[in-house]
Amino acid sequence: MNSPLAPPHYRLALLSRVVAAVIGGYLLASFSTIFLSFILPSSLPEAVLGATLFSFAIYTAAIVWVFAARNATRAWLGLLLPGSSLAAASFILYLAGAAA
Amino acid sequence: MKQTFRQSMSWLHTWGGLWFTWILFAIFLTGTLGVFDDPISHWMREKGKVSETPQTTAESRSRAVTLAQDYLVQQAPRAEFWSIGLPDDEEPALRVFWREAEGKPFQQRRLDPLSGTEMKPGSTRQTEGGHHFVHMHFELHAGTAGIWIVGAATVAMLVALVSGIVVHKKIFTDFFTFRPGKGQRSWLDGHNALGVLTLPFLFMITYTGLIIFWATYMPAGILARYQGNEDAFFAKLTEGPAPRPLQRIDAAVPDLVPLMLRGEAAIEREARFVVVEHAGDRSAAVRIFGRFDPDAEADSLVGRNSGTALFDAITGETIDIQKPNTVRGGNVLATQRTMNALHFVRFGGYPVKWLYFLSGMAGAAMLATGAILFMVKRRKKAGDEFGSATPRVYRVIEAINTAAIAGLMLACIAYFWINRLLPLDVTDRATREIQLFFAVWLLTLAHAALRPARQAWVEQLAATALLCLTLPLINLITTGDWLFAALVRGDGETAGVELSAIAFGLIFGAALRHLQRRSASEVRATAAAPIVEGA
Repeated sequence: MNSPLAPPHYRLALLSRVVAAVIGGYLLASFSTIFLSFILPSSLPEAVLGATLFSFAIYTAAIVWVFAARNATRAWLGLLLPGSSLAAASFILYLAGAAA
Repeated sequence: MKQTFRQSMSWLHTWGGLWFTWILFAIFLTGTLGVFDDPISHWMREKGKVSETPQTTAESRSRAVTLAQDYLVQQAPRAEFWSIGLPDDEEPALRVFWREAEGKPFQQRRLDPLSGTEMKPGSTRQTEGGHHFVHMHFELHAGTAGIWIVGAATVAMLVALVSGIVVHKKIFTDFFTFRPGKGQRSWLDGHNALGVLTLPFLFMITYTGLIIFWATYMPAGILARYQGNEDAFFAKLTEGPAPRPLQRIDAAVPDLVPLMLRGEAAIEREARFVVVEHAGDRSAAVRIFGRFDPDAEADSLVGRNSGTALFDAITGETIDIQKPNTVRGGNVLATQRTMNALHFVRFGGYPVKWLYFLSGMAGAAMLATGAILFMVKRRKKAGDEFGSATPRVYRVIEAINTAAIAGLMLACIAYFWINRLLPLDVTDRATREIQLFFAVWLLTLAHAALRPARQAWVEQLAATALLCLTLPLINLITTGDWLFAALVRGDGETAGVELSAIAFGLIFGAALRHLQRRSASEVRATAAAPIVEGA
């Protein structure tokens, strides 16, 4: 009965995944909202709302991904790559909009 | 963690589910009771005994508005808002609400609609009624913090639904499988069947729940595209008038009666609320809300509203008129409003409300069976997930399970009893009722911590069943009204509450009998064991 707790590196990896899921997933959903608000084909307020309605599905998918990934590093990469692409694309669209 | 997708989802479903299941059960149970918040309030305020209140007239409403305005000028000549709730069938008092500024506390008083004096405690049975369950459901009576906790639990619910589907790959076989009386296997079958049966409902109710508070939960779009200016954003989105910033120039609010009458004429409805935004400031505006008509457009999902009229308070200029049951804004806004209407069951009347009630109870039962299954599995064979602390952690989980499921059900029915037993002249009576509800819930946790696990379950279920079954009796003793009288006068709301309580009492009673028969057969099995060994 007195088996030790899971080894420290396992617990650290688990903590890393929880942080990735809760905070990383939320940030990914946030950037996807901003990106979609630029490209959805409707008026700006409606695009903002539509993008937000969709964001909760993205958040859910991100959390599932984090716990399905083979290890914590891959989990993080799977959030950071699409997240930073969406942020960069949004910034370009913002500059294009400001120039126009 | 080298494992298959299904294994990792199973882990996520078990542990993600466990840590959120207690709060989710509370959200589901109180939300499901909240489907019938109006009948519950009707029962708690003893509306069944009151004969029809006389129709209000333009004169009675004008008089009430004048009295409320006099009172509010005395209390808060400058305020972020004043709100005047005119008397109606459900609430015969004249209600005034105000807040001096953002961050200051909300104030609320009940006034006599004929004299304008504050109502003395004890003149009526003051209660939050069924709204208590609704508030518990979306904010746990904890304000903004509560809204965020409920939001986090709701996302966890979505994740648990997705991971649950992955885990139960034989989803339709599972649906037709129920093996009763087989301990752990039966709990799992029940959990699966309930989950699969209500899956579309669960997805709908969970996702639409997040959508109601979309701007709070996911402000990224408004932050990035509107610099966080919600007022400007919503004015554009809803095609409403532009926001009116505070001017900080003193200006007394003129007589509200003419504006109320103009508003009523413009929207062709009686006024229900008269709201003054920025009272005492040059930017003050008066908004007239029409009385809700439950029969108008009852089969429509979008655009059901009671109409509003907005005036500049100082000049009397008309700023905006929205007629009842008209739609504004584009298709995306209509989508969001449809999702709200789906969540609030604002369509279909009683048949759909009952469908939601049964689905919501099935969802709550699915959560409860999941939590129980976690412990049933580990009572048999410990998982040692917490090293040497495992038995202690299990004991804590078992106690929380009991209090979160049986204890909350006990506290909910106790709330009905508290409503009847708490003296009428207690100050802040409505708040006291809710505090006592939480006190009962806390006691069930203490009880679950002190008693052996099975005893705690049995005793709390027995108390719940008893309070449910005898609810009509306590009503008869304390108010002289009861089920039979309600049935005779055709008061379906009062009778519905008491008949439902009896039905729940019978279900809990049956569950108890099942538990007792199970423990009796376990005793027999243990007694028989040595003989078998000897043979």
